[in-house]
Amino acid sequence: MVVPFVYAFNILNLYFFMFRIMVLLILKTKFERERTMDGIIDIKDLCFRYSQENEKLDLSHVDLHVNEGEWLAVIGHNGSGKSTLAKAIDGLIEPESGEIFVDGQKLTEESLWNIRKKIGMVFQNPDNQFVGADVEGDVAFGLENQGIEREEMHIRVKEALQVVNMQDFAKHEPVRLSGGQKQRVAIAGVLALRPKIVIFDESTSMLDPEGRMQIISLIKQMNREEGFTVISITHDIDEASLADRVVVVDDGKIMGDSLPEELFQKGNELIDLGLDVPYPQRLKFELNKRGIQTPSEYMDEGSMVNWLSRSILKN
Amino acid sequence: MVKSIHIEKLNYVYQSGTPFSRRALTDVSLDIKTGSYTAIIGHTGSGKSTLLQHLNGLLKPTSGSLTVAGNHITSETKNKELNELRHHVGFVFQFPEAQLFEETVLKDIAFAPKNFGKSDEEAEQVAAKMATLVGLPDSVLDSSPFELSGGQMRRVAIAGVLAMEPQILVLDEPTAGLDPKGRLEMMEMFEQLHQEQHLTIILVTHQMNDVANYADHVVVMENGGLIANSTPERVFSDPDWLHKHHLGLPQTTAFAAKLAKQGVPFETLPLTEKQLAEKLAELMPQSGGELHG
Ligand SMILES: Nc1ncnc2c1ncn2[C@@H]1O[C@H](COP(=O)(O)OP(=O)(O)OP(=O)(O)O)[C@@H](O)[C@H]1O
Ligand SMILES: Nc1ncnc2c1ncn2[C@@H]1O[C@H](COP(=O)(O)OP(=O)(O)OP(=O)(O)O)[C@@H](O)[C@H]1O
Ligand SMILES: [Mg+2]
Ligand SMILES: [Mg+2]
Repeated sequence: MVVPFVYAFNILNLYFFMFRIMVLLILKTKFERERTMDGIIDIKDLCFRYSQENEKLDLSHVDLHVNEGEWLAVIGHNGSGKSTLAKAIDGLIEPESGEIFVDGQKLTEESLWNIRKKIGMVFQNPDNQFVGADVEGDVAFGLENQGIEREEMHIRVKEALQVVNMQDFAKHEPVRLSGGQKQRVAIAGVLALRPKIVIFDESTSMLDPEGRMQIISLIKQMNREEGFTVISITHDIDEASLADRVVVVDDGKIMGDSLPEELFQKGNELIDLGLDVPYPQRLKFELNKRGIQTPSEYMDEGSMVNWLSRSILKN
Repeated sequence: MVKSIHIEKLNYVYQSGTPFSRRALTDVSLDIKTGSYTAIIGHTGSGKSTLLQHLNGLLKPTSGSLTVAGNHITSETKNKELNELRHHVGFVFQFPEAQLFEETVLKDIAFAPKNFGKSDEEAEQVAAKMATLVGLPDSVLDSSPFELSGGQMRRVAIAGVLAMEPQILVLDEPTAGLDPKGRLEMMEMFEQLHQEQHLTIILVTHQMNDVANYADHVVVMENGGLIANSTPERVFSDPDWLHKHHLGLPQTTAFAAKLAKQGVPFETLPLTEKQLAEKLAELMPQSGGELHG
């Protein structure tokens, strides 16, 4: 459950959490890339085009495997096909060829509704997903559809709104909210559903810095603590760096599949892939321009701070 | 000559006079000089977009008034009195979908020039040029602006605003949804317009790096009011105040604060990468320090 954890967060929990992360990290390196045959999502040779008139495929021979409980970041420049891929997984568009398996089940017209229950998607523009007359009704909508009992529904709606800090807006019309408030409500809608797979399509793009960090740690908690499979489409390097794995989409194709730390070694190439360069790398670049040599290996912020302060303070 | 922006005791209440009425702005007074670059920052829901929408008369004050480019706007002002103003003020909305409406991308971008008296052909030439400038592929020019990726829609919206050659640019999170390369290119393009054509720019953003890199003024909003009206240097020199108001720092300033904690001496915390690198270059031993370890 997402919510009780928020309240029960205490020191013990923190230690436990850190321990789990360490274990996970160790396991991760050990079983790197070892793939189970059936993941929670398996995409095989998927092709799609929006219109028969398009010469080029909008998704071109996509193969993708997502493990249960994994956090996958999807990056790529504007128009590369990220949202289209998400729509294909959710069965919102019909492939020209290829297959999609979700939780062991092939995506077909018959299985569509069953599969959609397992996927919660936060759309790039929240206005495209609002259906309720008020915020509360909107968050409840998906639950009603799934036949969740009234009492349980009320609890879940309240909790989800609390988690995104929108409880005071329960009676407001979703379209009459600020940009960031809309994004929060859209996220609450998916939280309340508690689907096995959550797809966030640039869901933090209009949040203030504090709100963005809150939502990113919420995603982290959902994935690491509660075992949700997370797919996050993002241009934000902080978000991508937390993922287990990053795939790069370019021109409708999957062009890369790597661990975040491998990706960040690429320096300025990252810009072409649709991500920012990590801050320490950018600073290194500026220092090198001024004739200062820097270590060649990838450094995160902490190690860059340490290296700089040691180099400066030893004179 | 376009005059500066003067906002006096502006109050705005959404759905005023109904049971759903909601106050969004309280006694906002602000002056913005012609040719300046002002960033407006603040929490989700603090009133930034509401304030911006007054600048081209999309919203009219519930009480108080403002003057933009010589046009005085109060609660009484009629829409037709605002046509002139809307020629001068280019507005990039928070959600690009809200400002796209034509059948094709090209027509959408050509709308303003056509409306301002250019022939169809001329207008489409301007539009094609703008489309290239904002990095839209030719292949989408005849598509519907609604059948595009999020970042592509954003680019169409920006191109449409640039095509009207405004004197005041009002930008509401104009780079949300753009990839980092597009974000940098657009910010540099706005900066160029500011430098070369002296456009007045008002930018709402959650990117403190952009505030540090481009703005000469910062306005901080909280709960419908202004809590600071100052310069980036001054606002970002007070991390405690920022923290208290749940606001962020530019990456460089946050990074430098960590160095300062380790004992690296700074008189003032730098705002941009370049400033920090300069300072570090002064402090570093010429050999470049230890390379491994
Ligand atoms: N509804 C649509 N109809 C036709 N073409 C579309 C539609 N939506 C997107 N496209 C096209 O498909 C391609 C992939 O778009 P998609 O939305 O998947 O990109 P994206 O990677 O999500 O980009 P962004 O970062 O800008 O959101 C683009 O060339 C776009 O123009
Ligand atoms: N159309 C509307 N009707 C009623 N209330 C609204 C409407 N638009 C915004 N509000 C409310 O007015 C307040 C200010 O909203 P505004 O959109 O100006 O915020 P903002 O600072 O732009 O936030 P964000 O950073 O999330 O975009 C919010 O509390 C919001 O819920
Ligand atoms: Mg997209
Ligand atoms: Mg806004």
